[in-house]
Amino acid sequence: MPATDSSSAATSLGRSFLSLRRDHIPPPSSDHRAASSSDLEIDAFHRHAADLLLDLLSDSDDLLSLAWTRRLLDSFLICLDEFRAVLFGVAAAHQPLDRLLLDFLDRAVKALDLCNALRDGLDLVRQWRKHLAIAASALAPSSSDHHHHQHAPLLGEGQIRRARKALTDLTILMLDDKDAGGVVGQRNRSFGRAGSRDSHSHAHGHHRRSSSGGSSGSGSASHLRSLSWSVSRTWSATRQLQAIGGGLTVPRAHDITATGGLASAVYTMAALLFVVSWALVAAIPCQDRGLQAHLTAVPRSFPWAGPVMTLFDRILDESKKKDRKHSCGLLKEIHQIERCSRQLMEATDAAEFPLAEEKDAEVKEAALELVQVCESLKDGLDPLERQVREMFHRVVRTRTEILDYLSRPHNAG
Amino acid sequence: MAAAGYGRECAQVYASVRKPAVDASLRRLGVERLSIGDVQRLEWKALEAKIRRWIRAARAAGRGGFASERRLCFLIFHDLPISNITVTAAATAAAPATHDTPFAEAVKGAALQLFGFAEAISIGRRSPEKLFKIVDLHDALSDLLPDVSDIFAASKVAESIYVQAAEIRSRLGAAPRGLLSDFAWPLLGGPTKAAVPGGTVHPLTRYVMNYSSLISDYKVTLSELIVSRPSASARLTAEGNELAPSLAELELPEPENQSPLAAHIIWIIAVLEHNLESKASLYKDTALSHLFLMNNVYYIVHKVKDSPDLWNLIGDDYLKRLTGKFTMSATNYQRSAWLKILNCLRDEGLHVSGGFSSGISKSALRERFRSFNAAFEEAHRVQSGWCVPDTQLREELRISISEKLVPAYRSFLGRFRHHIENGKHPELYIKYAAEDLEIAVNDFFEGVPPSPHIRRRSHG
Repeated sequence: MPATDSSSAATSLGRSFLSLRRDHIPPPSSDHRAASSSDLEIDAFHRHAADLLLDLLSDSDDLLSLAWTRRLLDSFLICLDEFRAVLFGVAAAHQPLDRLLLDFLDRAVKALDLCNALRDGLDLVRQWRKHLAIAASALAPSSSDHHHHQHAPLLGEGQIRRARKALTDLTILMLDDKDAGGVVGQRNRSFGRAGSRDSHSHAHGHHRRSSSGGSSGSGSASHLRSLSWSVSRTWSATRQLQAIGGGLTVPRAHDITATGGLASAVYTMAALLFVVSWALVAAIPCQDRGLQAHLTAVPRSFPWAGPVMTLFDRILDESKKKDRKHSCGLLKEIHQIERCSRQLMEATDAAEFPLAEEKDAEVKEAALELVQVCESLKDGLDPLERQVREMFHRVVRTRTEILDYLSRPHNAG
Repeated sequence: MAAAGYGRECAQVYASVRKPAVDASLRRLGVERLSIGDVQRLEWKALEAKIRRWIRAARAAGRGGFASERRLCFLIFHDLPISNITVTAAATAAAPATHDTPFAEAVKGAALQLFGFAEAISIGRRSPEKLFKIVDLHDALSDLLPDVSDIFAASKVAESIYVQAAEIRSRLGAAPRGLLSDFAWPLLGGPTKAAVPGGTVHPLTRYVMNYSSLISDYKVTLSELIVSRPSASARLTAEGNELAPSLAELELPEPENQSPLAAHIIWIIAVLEHNLESKASLYKDTALSHLFLMNNVYYIVHKVKDSPDLWNLIGDDYLKRLTGKFTMSATNYQRSAWLKILNCLRDEGLHVSGGFSSGISKSALRERFRSFNAAFEEAHRVQSGWCVPDTQLREELRISISEKLVPAYRSFLGRFRHHIENGKHPELYIKYAAEDLEIAVNDFFEGVPPSPHIRRRSHG
């Protein structure tokens, strides 16, 4: 049992949340109150949230992959449904509840804008995939090669050039989203550093050839930039996250008893909303991605507190890794895109034609990996986008239901 | 490019060139890049203007802009060897060649932005003043959807745009249901505040009736959207509401083919009536409380008669009931305000039988005149400050009072004045000629305090 810390956790807003693991404040439901069925329901809700989170954490290899992120959203939607059942099932008509619910609704609306921005982010990843697909199809063996697998023709200069152009465009595209650069918000300069000078000169060369009539030399990536953000210039994921999680305080014992325990359910749901939003921002490219926002002082007595902190830790760790620090998004598949692309560029760097057999094999192998990444993206992106949209819908519906609930006069006024 | 096998790149370049063009044309139409948060923060008045602009822009984009984009794409790509085969060498589940993809890519952002605004409105908090613009938006979107379907649903990529537009339309359609159901709640009353001075038409009555009138203007769409009657729970809750125990017992007309919308409006008006009754009870003067009801119910009846659609909706039966209520209030007013005064002009009690002077009791007569004068003066003083806003009703009421009062006074005067005139200080008792009364009645219900004395055409 953690030692009871007499200093109130609620006053330690300034401290890093990591140190608050050791704090302990009295559990939300006081012992001398008889456990009513609504208490049991609310406790079950907390526990189920904790279980779902633990499940997600156990899958550590797959952390932040498309599939894992979908499961994260699944878990969120399950919790949301349970929250609704608890809220509308427990008869409570008490004043503090209304205020808490309105606060929750404000945060929920912020999450809606985030869902829209994330949908754009996923679309961006889709655009990246298209470039990969071009490169892959350029290097893909034609069907007739199946018969002559052992002696497949060497890759030609045209194919290599085409693939490199696609990958260079991809590099620029991923660089070009200034505000999407990395967790720390820095411009992504280190991407493709090995061949940066080369790719740069290639880029210039290519742009001279490929720019459609009218684009000036200085607007090198202008035709690609036009594919980016549809939010306004001042929109910021960091700010959105801060609005969702900021000022979320642990409910006071007085409020908890006055609302029949629902205050802690509302708190839990708001916290989950924040956690999921935060993880999504970490994973998916969006404008002004920043992961500084955090939950303050979650009492250990909530069963989901531990798993949530572990999740924060794991994702933060991932974001600090050397090769992910400046990534546009922590999705595992994005890392794969970066890696494969770089690998292929390196493999085809300063290639001399006709290709040596070893070189050819190396490139083909890299191309195969590229194909796999394309496949997994293709399979995973659409479902995730649908899930994000589903999250949007369910949050809207919950909000409407809560607004209706608030506008009806309460019974037993 | 396509012929050289560079189909994908070609599609990409096309999309990247067309996208800014499409975005720019949307901007020119006045569609702004507003987040849901932005829309929430705006005042409703500002939003109304934006909705109007949006409706115009959406029509132009839906029928014009997007359609011509698609045509352009078709012109360029339709006979080019582009395909979207999957990357695997074994092209098993090859997606069919979609020549729409470049179009979808070029247009997607703009389309999402366009519908995003409508979505933000559909999500906003509901309040009664929003009802009509929301219906406008719903109707505009409904008109657009067939075009949107043609343009967008053909491509898998763009299909989600159509789906989203359809969802938004549903949500917009659901809003009126909630709004109408919730409309009556505040009318169930709460602690009633001070009564409106002068017994005039209450602002709430005006608001509710104007709203109902607007609802009837929009009845075409609203009849489609409102498919359920006011819930039984609404009436049950009214039952539990201490302020409105009688509401649940209210028998509202429910003719055979009454539409749910009509049921809602009748319910709203019934709740208003009930509310008015509780407000009427706040007046200490019963006559004023009847006048208040008379004024307000008259206003309701008038509003209904003024709007054929509204009349149609609530039906003749209910209108009859309302009219009856009005008549009853008017009668009650006259009785409580004038009975006492008119009783001063009765014959009974004045005659004394037997004894030497079989005839009129002079003292009783003098008392009568004195009471009449005092009562009338009091009525004049007080009721001039009362209000009957409707000109015609005011005239009719005055005429009705005059018709009862003046002949009775004239006849009383005629029969008994000589008794007074033969006594001391007749001027103390016979203060007014019948004509004076007639003129004085014209001061009634002006809503302004009268001049201190009743004008007299002649003295004595």
